[in-house]
Amino acid sequence: MSNLLKPLTVLKLVFIERLAYRVHFSLQVLSGILSSIIVVFLWLAVYRSAGQGIIGGYSIAEMVTYLLGGGLLNSFILTTAENPETSQSIQDGTFSSLLIQPYSPFWLWFFRDLGSKVFLLFLGCLGYLVILFFFRDYLTIWASGTHLTLFLCSVVLASLLQFFLFENLSLLSFWIENTYGIRFTMRVIMEVAGGAIVPLSFFPQILQKLFFLLPFPYLIYLPMRIYLGKIPLGEVHREMLMEVVWISVFSFLSMVLWKKGLRRYMAMGD
Amino acid sequence: MKQTAYRPHFILMITGKVVRMGLLFFFFQAVFLKVNHIGQWTYDHVLLLFATFQVVDYLMSITFQRNLSSSLPSRIRTGELDSRMVLPAHLLFFVSFEEIDMMDFFSFLPSLGFLAYVCYRMDFAFSLTQMILYTMLLVNALLFLYAILLIIATTSFWITQSSGLAVIFDNLMKIGRYPLDIFEGFWKIFFLYFLPLVLIAQMPSQALLKALSLESVLLSFVATGVFMVFALRFWRWGLTHYLSAST
Repeated sequence: MSNLLKPLTVLKLVFIERLAYRVHFSLQVLSGILSSIIVVFLWLAVYRSAGQGIIGGYSIAEMVTYLLGGGLLNSFILTTAENPETSQSIQDGTFSSLLIQPYSPFWLWFFRDLGSKVFLLFLGCLGYLVILFFFRDYLTIWASGTHLTLFLCSVVLASLLQFFLFENLSLLSFWIENTYGIRFTMRVIMEVAGGAIVPLSFFPQILQKLFFLLPFPYLIYLPMRIYLGKIPLGEVHREMLMEVVWISVFSFLSMVLWKKGLRRYMAMGD
Repeated sequence: MKQTAYRPHFILMITGKVVRMGLLFFFFQAVFLKVNHIGQWTYDHVLLLFATFQVVDYLMSITFQRNLSSSLPSRIRTGELDSRMVLPAHLLFFVSFEEIDMMDFFSFLPSLGFLAYVCYRMDFAFSLTQMILYTMLLVNALLFLYAILLIIATTSFWITQSSGLAVIFDNLMKIGRYPLDIFEGFWKIFFLYFLPLVLIAQMPSQALLKALSLESVLLSFVATGVFMVFALRFWRWGLTHYLSAST
């Protein structure tokens, strides 16, 4: 099988698997949408109570766009795929059978994660069309074609960053029995520190400083700020470069953990 | 014992839940850095609502949530319910409280501490009557949630995706941690009269804030009573459709 055909086959298999459980995933999509809507309603009430058109530098339209866009990214790209397969296969021993397949398990997980994200994003976009129609009066369109292109690039980078971040945690399964707790904690922090429920500029200064020391703001806050034109185009490349640095750090760490973990691995199960 | 088998995992799960509560607290702080009130609700009022929601949420997850939203549907689907039916215990009681979640019990303690902190911020300015009413409405909230989850679990006698419905309700119920004032028009009426999520935390909080009329209190109990009667009847009807898949 050619090098290109292998990932395509993995992606196809993920799609077939996901389609078999389409009701389950549709319900998951619906849950994500519900969470986003609740936060939007809350902020609409905040704007009503404040009696101002702009709060914290965000107009009501920008805020609703930020929350729905951030909700879409959070629900369908970032929090749905937490690399449980890596962790589970190492824990239950099915990892052994992956090792003898003509494809690196690491890349198998990578493309399965990618397939899962693409599938849920597609399903999510369908669901969000209804919501976008409902909130159409509050939405704002991308600042320019360049902003849209950069936004899409930053979403792809965010997706990679999320994968490597959680892959590292999952690879800890070579050393510890259960990584769900640490992945859960990370997801909780990621949701808030990533800017999924409110732009980070709304938090107290000390928390903002803390969040910006971490990789999370690049997951949702950066893409949505690019989309809304809240960052001057001249500064976008610097932010995205930092994102690439974080990806490089975590992918390097993944490689180290993978190599060291493989040496430690003891096959369990039948 | 089972849950503490992986000690680092157990501790990290509790840490994650406490961190989530802490970050949500900062979220409300972020909101109130920009406004003084949401509808009639001030910062302290919203914190009380949030703390009350956390307490109800944890009490539910410690006791019956997982049993009803995940274990029971799975047992109905696989036919495992047979083994519970022959036990000399009340079936519904047994399947509702079969497993007590100790992990959430430990996560619950900080939420009690948070509630105490909010009360301290409000100078504990509550009368005994208010506190009794608050406690009664907390129990009422739990009964309401029990009824809803039982209705969802009972649908397992006919459909295979009831756990998905439970996940949706889990998300929907998050509305309970915000004041109902965030909604207007149709949605406000819906969450007040058709799916009264105000029963979860808003009613108890308002009782403590002395912002609840006697009619509202009585209506809360009646609403829960209606949901409970319907849930129990639906459960009994569902049982007559149990096919015992394993046999």
